This record gives sequence, structure tokens and C-alpha cells, in this order.
Amino acid sequence: MDNISYKEVNEDVVRTMTKTGWKYWVALILCAGLAVALWGVPWGYQIYVGQGVTGLNTPTFWGIYLANFVFWIGISHSGTLLSAILFITATPWRRSIYRSAEAITFFSVLTAAIFIFVHMGRPWNFYWTMPYFTTRQLWVNFTSPIMFDVFAISTYMTSSVIFLYFGSIPDLAAVRDRVTGWRKPVYTYLSLGWRGTDAEWHWLSKSYTFFAVFIIPLAVSVHSIVSWDFALSMVPGLNKTIFAPYFVVGAIFSGTAAIVTLMVCFRKAMKVEKYITLMHFDKLCMLLLVMSLLWSYINVVEVFSGWFANTSAENETLRYRMFLAPHSYMFWLMILTNSILPLLFIFRRLRTSIFVCVVVSIGINVGMWIERYLIVATSLPRKFLPNMWHDYIPSLLEISVTVGSFFFFAMLFLIFVKVWPSISIYEVKEDIGFPMRKGFKRH
Amino acid sequence: MNQPVLGLFPHVDSMVEAAVGLKDTGYTVTVFSPIPLGDALDPIVVRKNYIRYFALFGAFIGLFFGIILTLGTAALYVLPRGGLPIWPITPTLLLTYESIILFGVIWTLIGFFIVARKPNFGKQIYDPKVAIDSFGLLVEDIREDKIEEVEQLLKSFGADEVNRVEKS
Repeated sequence: MDNISYKEVNEDVVRTMTKTGWKYWVALILCAGLAVALWGVPWGYQIYVGQGVTGLNTPTFWGIYLANFVFWIGISHSGTLLSAILFITATPWRRSIYRSAEAITFFSVLTAAIFIFVHMGRPWNFYWTMPYFTTRQLWVNFTSPIMFDVFAISTYMTSSVIFLYFGSIPDLAAVRDRVTGWRKPVYTYLSLGWRGTDAEWHWLSKSYTFFAVFIIPLAVSVHSIVSWDFALSMVPGLNKTIFAPYFVVGAIFSGTAAIVTLMVCFRKAMKVEKYITLMHFDKLCMLLLVMSLLWSYINVVEVFSGWFANTSAENETLRYRMFLAPHSYMFWLMILTNSILPLLFIFRRLRTSIFVCVVVSIGINVGMWIERYLIVATSLPRKFLPNMWHDYIPSLLEISVTVGSFFFFAMLFLIFVKVWPSISIYEVKEDIGFPMRKGFKRH
Repeated sequence: MNQPVLGLFPHVDSMVEAAVGLKDTGYTVTVFSPIPLGDALDPIVVRKNYIRYFALFGAFIGLFFGIILTLGTAALYVLPRGGLPIWPITPTLLLTYESIILFGVIWTLIGFFIVARKPNFGKQIYDPKVAIDSFGLLVEDIREDKIEEVEQLLKSFGADEVNRVEKS
């Protein structure tokens, strides 16, 4: 970033928010329309008619909706966790990408949380999971892993929003100084009267460090707790002690892949190639390679320990998942996209090829979605009693809701890039360095 | 009369030198910058970290909240579950862990609001250039007969612009 001036950074970031072409509006309307058509309308129909329109039936009462829930929670691990870890370790390449990555966290947690409502069937009864004093003498059952989820996810969502907002305050003030019209009062209030004094920077950096320190164990706990929704059951294929690290690794893996895909689109659409450079993709792809190897190792451990245990129920679950219709082709596709394709990132030339980055990162998220789907769809249909076995095939409505959620997420991200400084102005300036009499000094 | 003067510098080192010089002469200085200057400001001011007390306080509040929510309410609303303990250990630890973090984060935020005195929408001395590429040095408590001297000093250290400012 040697040839970029401080002023240019302010201008470029504000430009991404204020200059809007017709292509943006087409994309936004398309995403919003498809989100309503593919998600909102079918969900409304499901609420009206009942859960019978889904493929859920004995013995599979958890289906694609919960796979989507876990998938979106996984995507959420990209932003806040990665941002916090890279901040604590003072990794400079974090600065251009972390803001958008943190937004990805918030939007994906939101999408995931909505899937709980979709799965519930009767979403208006959600308040039953809230502990509040009631004359009915009913109280929530804290021993249920579902209750762990309620607390973990609401804590994660709250903390992620605070983390995203807090780190943006100086940039919101910079935007405040450069905009007019309706934006002026909005950013004036959002920036809380920030002036950039030495005292304000001091308190901001101290607080931000504490947020990062709190968020790292929180993010790890959230996906561990999500894994315990499954692992604390008695079902073969789910009852695995390795599930917590498996889910955490998978979440960072899929989340990082989502960052790569979105950053490619974002830098191209917003013309910010000078801030999000090939170096960023190089580093992110190295991280993907490491996570792929970890994920593959845990998969081998899962299959091997199940096979070595040699119990009939475990053997049947593995056989059903890996070799039998209707799911075995998905299993091997997942191995291809998550274990084999990322090996391309061994080569630096491929890590800095945008085309390869896009193909592999999308492939990884397809594979990670399949992983979550297979966990649900190949375990519950094969429990201990063969007379209860029954394949789970999602209905068209469930598939529609699943596809719709991606458009919902894309819509939120498109809105975000127009209302929020999606590249951190002050941290990119830190990357440029302090202007001294004898040139810039990096720290 | 208390007429504040704001000098805008293009370079960090010249601004720090000016700040040290003015501080040694007995003036109160405030630095404005578009980026956090961190250790570069050590010659001017070293601040304590009060935020940690808020974070610790929040974590303790979270600890008590988690315990009271799980164990306390389990005692209030007894839910027999076929021989399982009324006070379960694992969920208590899990929910307390989450509430420690939640309250820690919330109290860190509250701590920031208190020590940084935010939000503040009242009149303040500010120049938008310090959010772009200038480093500001605000000098307050200047006697009327010393204003020009301070302005000259700021210019001699390399200030691009020196303005007599008021809260706006």
C-alpha cells in the first residue's frame, strides 16, 4: 500500500457507500425478491399448513433446516473469531478485510437463528425457551443442549454486534465528516461524538483488546455447544466425543472460504483491488489449506474410530453414509471439495489466482454444507432398530427455503456495503504507516 | 481569557516534538489523529488502563448471574427428571461460562462509555482534517498575551495550519 495516501483511503471508502450504480440496485432487488420468493413465501406456507409439507417423518425429525442452522453458524466463525485472533496476534493483513468479515458473522448468525424458527414449526412458541417468571410455574430445562444453544448464540450475536460496531466508531466519524443529507445525522449519532483525541484512541484500543480476548473463547464455545446438540445424544453417528473440535475446525474452514468468495466479489464490484490485494488471498488460502488438513484428519479419526469400535449400529451408520444411496455420492463429493481440492493451495501461484480461489472456496462451502447435511440425514434414519429405518429426503419446499437463505444473506451484505464503512479506514492507514518527516514509518 | 489554539501537522514526529515542548512549558495539550498513535505518544502522556476493572467487574457479575439463573431458579422451580440432580453441574458451568463472557463484553462497553465520556453530542473543538491526514495539537489554558507565542511555536515545529478555535 505504498502508493496510497491517507486522503485517498477516506475518499475510496466513502465512495463505496455513496456512489451506487444500477448494477447494485439490480443485484439488491434480485436478492431481496428471491429471498422473499424462495424463503419467505414457502416458510409462510409451511406455517399455515404445518410441518407435514417437509420431508420430516419418523425417525428423522431433524432435517435440512438444522443442517442449514449449523452451516450458517459455521460461516459466522469466519469474521469475529478470525478478526479477534488476528488482532491479538497483531497480524497486519487483517486490516483490509476484517470489517466485512465481521459483518459476515452478524448476518450469518442472524440467518442461522431464523432457521431455528423455521425448524420449530410453531415459531410463535419461541418464548418457551426464555427463562422468565411465570404464574404457570413452568421453567426452562437447563439440562437440554437446546437451551445451551439459546444462551450461546444470543451471547455470540450480542458480542459480535458490539465488536463490529465498536471497531467502526472512528470510521463512522470519518464518514460523518464527508456526507450530507440524511446520512449526516445518522452517522453523527452512530459515531457518538468521536473526535480522534489521544484519550479516545487509548480507551478504544484497550476496550477492543478486551473484546477480542472475550470473543475468542466465546466463538470456540459456541460451535462446541452447537456440536453438543448432536453429540450429547445416544444416536450412532452423532454420539462422538470429537464433535466439538470437529465443528470448530469445520466452522473456521467454511467461514474462511466464505470470506474468500465474498472478498473476490466485493473487491471487484466496489473497485477496491488496491486494498484487498492478492497478498490477502495468499494468506487466506494458506489458512484454508491448514484448516483443510485439520478437517481431513478429524474425518479420518471419526471414520476410523467408528470402524475400529465395530459395533453394528456404528458400522451401519458408516456404511449408509459412505457407500449406500441416496447419500454416498454426497460423501465422496465432500471429500473431493474439502480434502483434495484445497491441496491446490500448496502452490503459491494457485493461492494468488483469483479463479482458483473462487472455485475452491465455493467448493469448500458446498462440501461443508454437505458435511452438516450428512451428519443429520445419515444418522437419524439409521438408529438401533432396523424396523424403524427410513430414508430422509428433503421436500422441494425445504430445498427452496435453503436456497432462499443464501439470497437473504446476500441481500443483507449488499445493504451493509452501502450503509457501513466496509473497509476499516483507520486500520488501512495504520498499514500505510505513520507519516514522518523522512517518509512513512510502519509499526 | 482561555483561547484554545489548534495546530495541524502533516507529520507525527513534528507534532510530538511540539507537544513535548508545549507540555514542558506548562500548557495542557490534546492530540488529535486519524489513527491510533500508541507508543508514539509516550513522551506526552502515559495513561492507566481502567477498562480492565470494568471487564473484571462484568465477568464477576456474569459469574453470579449464571449461578443464580441456573442453580437459584432450579431451586425455585423444582423440575424432577427421573433421579437426575436438581442442581446439574454441566449446564451450570456452561451457562455461567457464557454469561461471564456476555457481561464481561457489556461492562467493557459501559466502561468505555464512562472513561471516554461517550456519547457526547455537545459542542466540542474539532477539525474534520484530523479524521483524514492531519495530526492536530490543541493547546488550551493560554494567557491572552501568550497566544501569539504559542502560535509561533506551533509553526516553528512544522504546523501547516494554526487556528484559534472555539467549540462548535
